[in-house]
Amino acid sequence: MTPDPAIEARGVRRVFESRKGFLFTEKSRTEALRGVDLRVEPGEIFGLLGPNGAGKTTFTKILSTLLLPTSGEARVLGIDVARNPQAVRPRIGLVLGGERGLYNRISARENLRYFADLFGLPPALRDRRIQEVLDRVGLTEAADRRVEEYSRGMKQKLHLARGILHRPELLFLDEPTIGLDPKSARETRKLIRSLVSDGVTIFLTTHYMFEAEELCQRLAILSKGQIVARDTVAGLRRLVGGDTTVEVEAYGFEDAEIERLRHLPGVGRILSEEFGPRLRLTLRSSSSELTAGAVRSALGTAHPDLMVRERRTVLEDVYLDLVEEEAA
Amino acid sequence: MNVPATPLTISRFRSTAASVRLSVLQFVADPQWLIPSMIAPIIFGIVAYQLVLGSGPYFVVYAILGAGMMSMWGQTLYGSGWATGQDRVFGTLEPTLQAPTPYVYVVLGRILWNVVSGLVGGAIVYVVVVAESGQIPAVVNPLLFVVLFLFVMVTLASVGVILSAFYVYTRFAGFIQNIGEFAFYVGTGCMFPVIFLPWWTNPVSLVFPPTWALDALRYGSIPGYQGFAWGFGWDLVGAVATMTVYLVLAGLVFHRVERHVLEVGTLGDY
Amino acid sequence: MATTEAAAVVRARPTFWRNFWTNAILSPRTTLGFMRIDFVLGTIFVIPLMQILFFALTVQLGNGGASGIAFVAVGNAVATVTYPSIFSVCQTTDSEKEQGTMEHLLVSPAPRFPMYVGRGLIPILISLATVTVGLVYAVLFFGVQIAAGSIPFLAVSVILSAFAMVGFGLLLGGIALYLRSSIVLGNIFLFIGLIVSGVNFSVSALPLPVQLIGYVFPLTWGLAAVRASISGDSLATVGPLWLIIVLTGAVAVGLAMGLWRNFERRAFSTGSIVRF
Repeated sequence: MTPDPAIEARGVRRVFESRKGFLFTEKSRTEALRGVDLRVEPGEIFGLLGPNGAGKTTFTKILSTLLLPTSGEARVLGIDVARNPQAVRPRIGLVLGGERGLYNRISARENLRYFADLFGLPPALRDRRIQEVLDRVGLTEAADRRVEEYSRGMKQKLHLARGILHRPELLFLDEPTIGLDPKSARETRKLIRSLVSDGVTIFLTTHYMFEAEELCQRLAILSKGQIVARDTVAGLRRLVGGDTTVEVEAYGFEDAEIERLRHLPGVGRILSEEFGPRLRLTLRSSSSELTAGAVRSALGTAHPDLMVRERRTVLEDVYLDLVEEEAA
Repeated sequence: MNVPATPLTISRFRSTAASVRLSVLQFVADPQWLIPSMIAPIIFGIVAYQLVLGSGPYFVVYAILGAGMMSMWGQTLYGSGWATGQDRVFGTLEPTLQAPTPYVYVVLGRILWNVVSGLVGGAIVYVVVVAESGQIPAVVNPLLFVVLFLFVMVTLASVGVILSAFYVYTRFAGFIQNIGEFAFYVGTGCMFPVIFLPWWTNPVSLVFPPTWALDALRYGSIPGYQGFAWGFGWDLVGAVATMTVYLVLAGLVFHRVERHVLEVGTLGDY
Repeated sequence: MATTEAAAVVRARPTFWRNFWTNAILSPRTTLGFMRIDFVLGTIFVIPLMQILFFALTVQLGNGGASGIAFVAVGNAVATVTYPSIFSVCQTTDSEKEQGTMEHLLVSPAPRFPMYVGRGLIPILISLATVTVGLVYAVLFFGVQIAAGSIPFLAVSVILSAFAMVGFGLLLGGIALYLRSSIVLGNIFLFIGLIVSGVNFSVSALPLPVQLIGYVFPLTWGLAAVRASISGDSLATVGPLWLIIVLTGAVAVGLAMGLWRNFERRAFSTGSIVRF
């Protein structure tokens, strides 16, 4: 028997209604999610990327039982989150992060103790487990200080500690490294990887492409409430044309020149962008034979000002291509 | 992988205990709460004493009951709802509702704490009024008076549970509660018998468990008291019956309200 | 063109009136949600009726008689001014802290006086409406008699009281800057006002030290002016009371400004702006 997927969403839609105005209120509707289908396997780190307002937090809240979908079905660990949220809650952890969401006037340890009790941790286990997570996120020394004295990064770590306190099978991380300094962010990523080796499935939303590339086995890109792509990082690179990127910049190109570039080895797509009087063409190729030299040869000597740069296609390229394509 | 489950009722009541503990910690962390729990009862005691001076030999009892109720409103009702409002402000309402414990058990813990501090307020009122009048109130049966006073607190707490649900429902609950404060004092007859009100308002008053409990308390404390015609025994029955309805409703309402806020997505609003 | 525009933006300083109006209209909406019509109507129509009814029935229990009921009816009709003036004004401070907008307010170059006083405009209007409705209830249901000739003096007394009480609300808002929450403070002053300002019983019934506390409150003088106006007293009696109301209100606003300035200095030195 194959295990249930950690997450399975089918046609998830979410519409928000709001009112504005003083005497005569006006109703407005915003469709935050427009039919999201997604499947996350147990034990993987799955990343959800998308611009601000794409619907990432809305989707995370639906999966973590804090919001109901307007329509569609979302199952977490095989359980329908809308029908049976109580069965889902003990098995998942949620880290929303930010300055809010903690009791600022009491210590980190007291915050954790309170939530440990709400999650039903047996008293004998509770205090030991609190110490474990404090050690794990590096807050042991500050554990008995009031949270209002914490820096933003320390609060973020406390959010994370609370999320893993009850040993969830599936952990939702909404922008887990936002506000952290580079060292703390690296430690957090290390912690996330160690959780996966403990068997925890991670569902991560982030704006940091390098983070997603470093951590996630598979990714989905959400734009305007819809998944526009989902695959491994390598698969997504293929989707936008391949592993190799060459950028060519000059004061304009003839159509024939662009056509010659299109016929270079493995070139899948060519994107153009204007910078004042200059034009930049970005070539994506699945072939390692596409080099800066090959591009220079194809264009000849017509552009004395030509600039060519060859590099590996990174996730940020994929993200920008897909999101901009969707916006267009 | 997750923590082995403990029997549900145990873990739920542990949540209630955790909620009491959190309330105490927050109280200690913020000494300005001494104001409503210590100073307000003194003020209420002085005002009530002045207003009911001419109400006959039992005016001291009226003053204690009236001021005690006003003080306990602040602690038991207002405090319980307000704590949920604070959860909204702190952003802790979302993680609390995301925990597997139904929120009503968290609210219960807060109410228990507020009942205790409400009783302290009631004791302060007692001391203030006794000091002002220079006489120990003449009640029929002091023990019964204390027991019934506690009973009134419990009925107030049952209203507090429903009010807390309202705070989960909307961020505007505080405004509505402010508007309704004096209406509640009037409707439940905390300072004067409800029969002072026009007869057609009585059905509204009888919806509130404290109305019955207060009437019973006066019957049990003041000789010759003229409250509802059905007397002490039926007042107690009415109080228990309405309170039971409130507690059953609270369970249902919390479930519905939690569901509703997940539908409309207003949990994070503050 | 763009350079000129950029220079204009750099040079821009909010004018007194624009600053005043922005704060008057926007602040209650952004920080309180107070502009919801149902809440405003509830404040104006429900609170006065219930507050007067509560104290009138309590006085009836205490055998205060018709004159006693009329006394508390007028007292509480005017005392309802404390809800919109004290609560709404000092609660803006809490909301600014909670929403994290306090720092931005403090670093803005806007002159502070119109910024703070502007916040009082809507509460003043709501206060006026509340007291007026309260006095109408007092006349209709609680046996208070107001001669037509007294109405001009009464109107002036009410308007001045509303202004002074909002000034007092600003003062409490200033004190609330140093606290985590102002709502508790607002509650306390609401009830202290009920004792020391002559709302439910004459100030002279109180011990002298408590009477002296009462004289600091604008509400005490506002009530005295309202009662004198209703009694048909002459300008010679009411005029000095008006003067004192204005004076207490002005002192409250002055102190509020001082507190805000001091808070700004302290907040920058201790970094304690946003704790709540």
